[in-house]
Amino acid sequence: MDLLRQITDQPIDPDYATVAARRSADRTQPRRRPTRRWAIALTAVLAGAMFSVAAVQTTQRAPLLATERDELIARIVHAEARQDEQRTQIAQLDRETNRLRRTAVQGDAEGEARLAEINRIAPIVGAAAVKGPGVLVTVDDAPGSDTDTGDRVLDVDLQILVNGLWRAGAEAISVNGHRLSGLTAIRGAGEAITVDYRSLTRPYRVAAIGDPRTLPASFAETSAGAWWIDLSRNRGMSFTVSGAQKLTLDPDPGLVLRYARPGR
Amino acid sequence: MLPLIGLLLGIAVGLLLEPTLPLVLQPYLPIAIVAAMDALFGAFRAYLEGIFSDRVFVTSFISNVLIAALIVWIGDQIGVGSQLSTAVVVVLGIRIFTNAAAIRRALFHA
Repeated sequence: MDLLRQITDQPIDPDYATVAARRSADRTQPRRRPTRRWAIALTAVLAGAMFSVAAVQTTQRAPLLATERDELIARIVHAEARQDEQRTQIAQLDRETNRLRRTAVQGDAEGEARLAEINRIAPIVGAAAVKGPGVLVTVDDAPGSDTDTGDRVLDVDLQILVNGLWRAGAEAISVNGHRLSGLTAIRGAGEAITVDYRSLTRPYRVAAIGDPRTLPASFAETSAGAWWIDLSRNRGMSFTVSGAQKLTLDPDPGLVLRYARPGR
Repeated sequence: MLPLIGLLLGIAVGLLLEPTLPLVLQPYLPIAIVAAMDALFGAFRAYLEGIFSDRVFVTSFISNVLIAALIVWIGDQIGVGSQLSTAVVVVLGIRIFTNAAAIRRALFHA
């Protein structure tokens, strides 16, 4: 605090006072030497040039930053397109693998039993596409959320919604077309929510396969249902649940085990 | 009068010639400007109080600018550059405000 007081108490260079005191003590008339006057003018020129150079550089840098940003966005879009392409390729290869597996185990009793087990488990864990009746839950940020960060759907809200649907008896769930498996993470990254490390665009459409008659009611009874009713009533977020007779959920392409091995 | 003309001339020179500053010096220009503003306001207040001294003005201007840039440069070297520039802006900002208020009182007696 003493430092701050000192700053306000002594805002001008103390040398001014010293020189003035010496001058009045000497009683000499302040002679204005021409070189001194030019020194002041030169300093003023320097100060002015500093202002304008800085202003010019700041305005010149602004479009540069904008282009850099645009370039980054273009690269992200390109990388996402490439990722989509590779995911389609994975799906294609998966189908190919399945076909080869079927032909390979023909006539082998143990192999056919294994294949039956795979076919039974794959839809449950999310490795195979599934279809069936269910519900479609659409949630979105409250109107005017661009200015107020309080009324946006967060990753936690989406996690609660999905967990509530599991608890209400959903058998398979996808968020904006991304199938959820045991390895899928829903998390916020910066401004966006990501599912399986893919950022989502609003609104968030959660498709859940299950009994369309009991699923909405069971969901409303869970704590997740109460959470979302509160969000829609008090925060103004949109939250609609509609029944769907035919939903098709794609498999999760990121379903790979790198370290885990089947064991007894 | 001469300093004012000089200031305007400097602004005009900077705008017309658009000299490019070396990339190394670019981060230190804004902080140097804040220091320069402090020296200018201090000099104007001293002028109004009748204790202006051209020699003190020139030396305080140049040393202020160099020291402010130097402090931030050292901060950059040891990893606290942005914090130190905040500190410099706060201290000089308080001084500029105090001097501007004193100038206002001296000019308008309000």
